[in-house]
Formats: sequence, C-alpha cells, structure tokens
Amino acid sequence: MKINLKPNLKINRIWLIFLAIMISLCASAIASLVVGSVWISIPELIKIIFHQSPNTGWAQIFWQFRLPKALTAIFCGAALSVSGLQMQVLFSNPLAGPFVLGISSGASLGVAIAILATEALGQISGGLGSESTLVAACIGAAFSMSIVAIASRFVQNSITLLILGLMMGYCVGSIVDILLYFSSPERIQSYLNWTFGSFAGVTVARLPLLCSTIAVGLVLAIASIKPLNTMLLGEMHARSLGTKISRLRLGIVINIALLAGTVTAFCGPIAFLGVAVPHLCRALFRSADCRILLPATILVGANLAIVADLITQLPNKTLLPLNSVTSLIGAPVVVWTILRPAQKS
Amino acid sequence: MIKRFLNLIKTKFLLKALRSKAFNRNLVLGLVGLALNACTIAPIAKQRDGCVEKYESDRDYFPVKSQVDRAIGFSIEYHKNYKVITVNQPWKGAKEQFRYALVQCGTPNPTGFNENQIIQVPVRTVAILSTTHLAHLEKLGLIDRLVAMTTLEMVYDSKMQTQLNKNGVQDVGRNNSFNIEKLLMLSPDLITTYGTGNPATDSHPKLLEAKLKVAINAEYMESSPLGRAEWLKFTAVFFNQEDKANQEFAGIVARYEKVAAIAKTAKTAPTVVTGFHRNGTWHMAGGKSYAAKYLEDAGAKYLWADDPSEGSNPLSFETVYLRGRSADFWLNTSQDWQKREDIPKSDVRYRDFQAWQTGKMFNSNARVNNKGGSDYWQSGVVNPDVVLADLVKIFHPELMPEHQLFYYKEIAP
Repeated sequence: MKINLKPNLKINRIWLIFLAIMISLCASAIASLVVGSVWISIPELIKIIFHQSPNTGWAQIFWQFRLPKALTAIFCGAALSVSGLQMQVLFSNPLAGPFVLGISSGASLGVAIAILATEALGQISGGLGSESTLVAACIGAAFSMSIVAIASRFVQNSITLLILGLMMGYCVGSIVDILLYFSSPERIQSYLNWTFGSFAGVTVARLPLLCSTIAVGLVLAIASIKPLNTMLLGEMHARSLGTKISRLRLGIVINIALLAGTVTAFCGPIAFLGVAVPHLCRALFRSADCRILLPATILVGANLAIVADLITQLPNKTLLPLNSVTSLIGAPVVVWTILRPAQKS
Repeated sequence: MIKRFLNLIKTKFLLKALRSKAFNRNLVLGLVGLALNACTIAPIAKQRDGCVEKYESDRDYFPVKSQVDRAIGFSIEYHKNYKVITVNQPWKGAKEQFRYALVQCGTPNPTGFNENQIIQVPVRTVAILSTTHLAHLEKLGLIDRLVAMTTLEMVYDSKMQTQLNKNGVQDVGRNNSFNIEKLLMLSPDLITTYGTGNPATDSHPKLLEAKLKVAINAEYMESSPLGRAEWLKFTAVFFNQEDKANQEFAGIVARYEKVAAIAKTAKTAPTVVTGFHRNGTWHMAGGKSYAAKYLEDAGAKYLWADDPSEGSNPLSFETVYLRGRSADFWLNTSQDWQKREDIPKSDVRYRDFQAWQTGKMFNSNARVNNKGGSDYWQSGVVNPDVVLADLVKIFHPELMPEHQLFYYKEIAP
C-alpha cells in the first residue's frame, strides 16, 4: 500500500471531487426511488412525499419498498466500505475486507442453524421467518467476533489475527456445508437466497434499528481516524507515536462487528464492496490519509451500493442476485487499482 | 447358505437376549433390519423370471403396448423383441437425449445401441434415487422389486416405510450423494434417477462408469399434472407392466377430467397469488408452469397466467405486491407459517394482502412427516385428480361439497 499522508491534490480539487460524489449519490438515490416495477416520475414522487398523491398503491410502494431499500443500501454501502478501509489500514493489507475476520462466516453459521437445523430438531412452531434469521445472524456474527476480539488481546502480530480469522472462516464454512448436506431442498433454497444478499428485505419497522446501529458504528469509525493514520507508518512507528496497538485492534474489531455484523444480519453477506471501495477512493483522491478516505468511503460506498441495487433490476421483470452484481463491479475495480501504478512506471 | 442360516439363528438368539434386557427398541429394530437384509437380497439375484427360453424372431414379445398421450418428455417405440424409450428433455436446456433399448430377456440385443443403453426386461430389482419414483412402484404394485432408495426416512407413508424396512430396502444416501459401493453390492437390474445437467452433482455419469444400468426419469420437467403422472408408463415399460400402467393412467385421466369439468361450471374465477418472498426476492411460478396449469384447471385466475415461462421467475417483492395483494387466494406460502399471525411477523407488508386479511391462504403441507418428507411431492405426483379436487374445493367449495382436503390445508387463523 502506498503511504502518502500529504495529499497529492490541491485542497480545492479534493472539495470538487467530494462535490461530484455527492451529486452522483443524490442522482443515484433519486434513480433508485424512480426505477422499479413501475416508474414513478419525479413530480409524482414529490406529490407522494407530501401525501398529495391520489395513487395509494404507488404511495405504498414508495414508503414501504423504495425508500427503505434506498436507505438500507446507503447505510449498508457506507458501513461495509468503512469497515473495509479500517481493516486494510489495520492489517496493512490491500486484500483485507470487512469479512476477513470471519464475521460473515459467523453470521452464515447462525443463519444456517436457524434455517437448516430447525428441520433436524423438528418443526419449531410459529414465527420462524426473517426475524429468527436476523437474530441468528447477529448472534453468529457476535460470537465469531468475540472470539477474534479475545484473540486480539493475546496475539501480538496482526497477521496472526488475520490467519486466525481466515481459519475460523474455513471451519465455520465446513459446519455450514454439513448442515446443508442434511437439509431438504426447500431449506437449502432459503439459505442460498440469504447468501445472495439483498437490500430489499428490510422493512420500515426494522429500519431505525439498522440505521442507528450503523450510525453509531460510523461515529466510532470517525473517532478512530487519528490512530489509524499512525498505523499507516507501520506498527513500530505507530507504537512510538503513542498508539496502543492492542487497544486499537480491539476497538476496531468491535467497530467492525457493529458495522459489518449489522449489515450481514439484515442483508446477508454482501461481497466485495468493502474491499473495492477503499481502493477506488485511494485512486480518486490519490491519498492514503484516513481523514479524507473515511468520508470518501462513506459516500462512494453508499453510492456504489445503490448503483449495484439498480443494476439488479436491469433485466426487465426479473431480478439479479445482489452479490453477483457487487462482485462484478468490485473485482474489476480492485484489478484496476492494482494495475494502475504499474502502468505509470 | 448354511453359514447365513447359522448367522440368522445367532442373530435371533442375540435379539431374544437383547429384548429380555429391555434394550433400546431402536437398536433392536435396526438389528432386525440388518438380519432381514442379509437374507432377502441375495436370493432375488439368483432367479430370473420372465426370460424367454426359446427365441422366435417373428413373435411380438410385447402384445400390450403403452402410448404416450399427455407427457411430452418421453416416447416409446415398440419392436418385436425390444422397445426403445427416449427421454426427450432430461433437464432444462439439455442438448442430449437419452435412449434406452429395453430388450426382452432371452432374446438377442438389437444393433446400434451402446452396452449401457441396453437394459434387459422385465427388470427384477430396482433402486430409485428419488422418492417421487416410489409412487410409481406403489401404483404399479411393484414395491417388492425395490432394493434400495435414497432418503428412506422422507417417505411420508409410515406404513410404507415399515414395509420397506421389512423388505430390507437399503437407504443409499441423500439426494445426489449416494453410496455407490452399496449400490454395486446390490447391483440392481435398474437404477432410476434424475438429471439436472450438472455433471458434478448428477448421479448417472458415476453410475454408468460403474457399469450399472441407469434410466433418467425427467418427470419434473413436465409442465402439466397429467403429463407428469403419465411417467407412470415410463417406469412400467421396464417391468413389462404396460397393461397395469395403461389402466391406472386411464383412471387418473378420467377422474382428473371429471373434476376439471366440474370446475368449468363455476361462475366466477377467483384470483390467486402463489409463493412468498425470501429476502426481497419472490420466486413466482411461471404462467405455463405445473402450478399454473393446476390453477387454470381448478377454475381460478392465476395472476401471472400471462407469463410465458414454464419454470419460476425471481421477482422483486415490490412487483408482486403491486399485482398480488389484490388476489382472493394465496397458495403455497412458506412452510414455516403455521398460523395467520406468523405471516406479518416475517414481513409486515404481507398485511396488505387481501388474502391475508380474509384468511384465504392454503398450503400443500397437510401431509408432511417429521423429517420434512411431503406426500404432495410423493403420492401427489400420481394422484393429480386428488390435488385438483383439493384446489376446486378451495376455490369453489360449493362445487365439491363432499370432498375433504387431502394434500392441502388452510393456514390456521
């Protein structure tokens, strides 16, 4: 990773880029409110917002489907991207992302148990819907993250922690496979659908919880900017500057549990956004300074998430899985940022 | 043989001892099963009935023939001493067809077929790798020919399960991961399976490699209920049971059409939505699908009848909400919803569905065992007339006052 705290661009340029990102975010947010099974025109949209629209069907579509989905995409995109940035800086590894410490595998295990194992234990009556999935994902993510957090207290080296997270991911993945193996096709389908990821499953009632948790996580992330910046110089230098590495690690692990854990619980494991967006921002701003990158990743992440959700609706009348779209956008971005310096030299 | 007999006596002795000590009942049953397996399987392989002793080249060995009327997935062609069965579309988008030459045992093989395409009939022992094929054997009275199957515990009918255990039918695995060694040991005359087009998970390539005789049954590709039921004939031709299959299928068609004719007299056609959303994606059965055909025949108006596809389409919940919330009936909802109140718990937006408000919601899960095995997908496949009667009872109760719901049940209020 290139370490360059001093921005290569002039301050005015930075503001300009921010402005451009803001405008594009607004545009894609509006697009996501307009586009769907029916196109709601902007004048109609305004009428609906002020409760002036005679078309109650469209109003319900707007309030109960489009708006929650757009907000979910904005918050989740921001959360994943910020946690990706934190991980990349903490581990000084460009391939790190929000899920490398096994958070998504933990959540997957929780969901797999909720969806698949209930069958083995016999029918549990009633209420076994998305609610139980949500709770199970939270418990699973919290469980795996607490293991990592405890480990981070004792492990000296960040790389060891990374390997620990990866290995836990493998183990948990195998347990999920075993559960899948013994499940009926309908249950497997339910589980697979969850792994495809989606912003559309969040209802108005759950939105406050999702948004407030992520907001808390983002505030914490902003508070971590300073020590994170010292990490850019390497662990040794950071230590000499007074950063308490193990405390920072624990803090970031908890922070990521909040951010990525919440997203995974509500929307499923959404791939690649967390890895790709920090790279994209570094390329846009030609800087590694977290003071610039953190707000940038929030905006760009939200933007990309909305665009990805729009793309899932591209084929007329049907849907694409969100995870495929984010990977298809994310992978080329990573490749591009990796190849770019090589071209220059 | 003597050794086996001695073993059996030993086992029985052991059993008595175990019983007297009031051992776990399951363990005893398991041992009984094992003991029975040891004696029943081997002798079948020794005898061969139905073989021709003296071949006459101009004799028609299949005087009773089956004709395929409703199914589009397979065809049968009769020759003097063999019949050719072709599976036209073994799976979605399949480029290849499967052809099997069913040769009367004791007569010469026809030319132009590979060895693995030639199957001697009548088949004496069969293994099935899908529970749906069990219904065929049951309808044809051929349960005693079954030596192995997958997911035995998913068989809904507990009496049938007991009988299968008694017959020493072996459980050889789950879905497409099965115990090939066990199958090789049993080496049945025929294994019926299904294909999905994925060579990594499909069972037939591996079975063919092991030189076992495999037939692909593609009934699930059939988009009409009667077409799917007609695959009964597909199974029957391997056993030279055309006569029985023709009779059974004619009965099914007559009963189905009778119910459909009753449904035609209905004055109204209530609207129907099917399925539910998972994480915002609603897999809606296509307008030309199996489910849609049933709804049409039952005198209902499927809200996605204008859709041209035979499979199902992933739609956004929003799309379904716009069109589907006005539906009079809501069918095939999530199996997790036991009562009406469970539905808004999983998503409050379901409250806006008219069918939820009026409570007209039905599921085909009236007959499901504790392992999740659903009879709708087992015996329901060969009883389309009963399924249709259920649906007519749901949509037009006044037309079928006598009928009691069999496969379907209402979601409890």
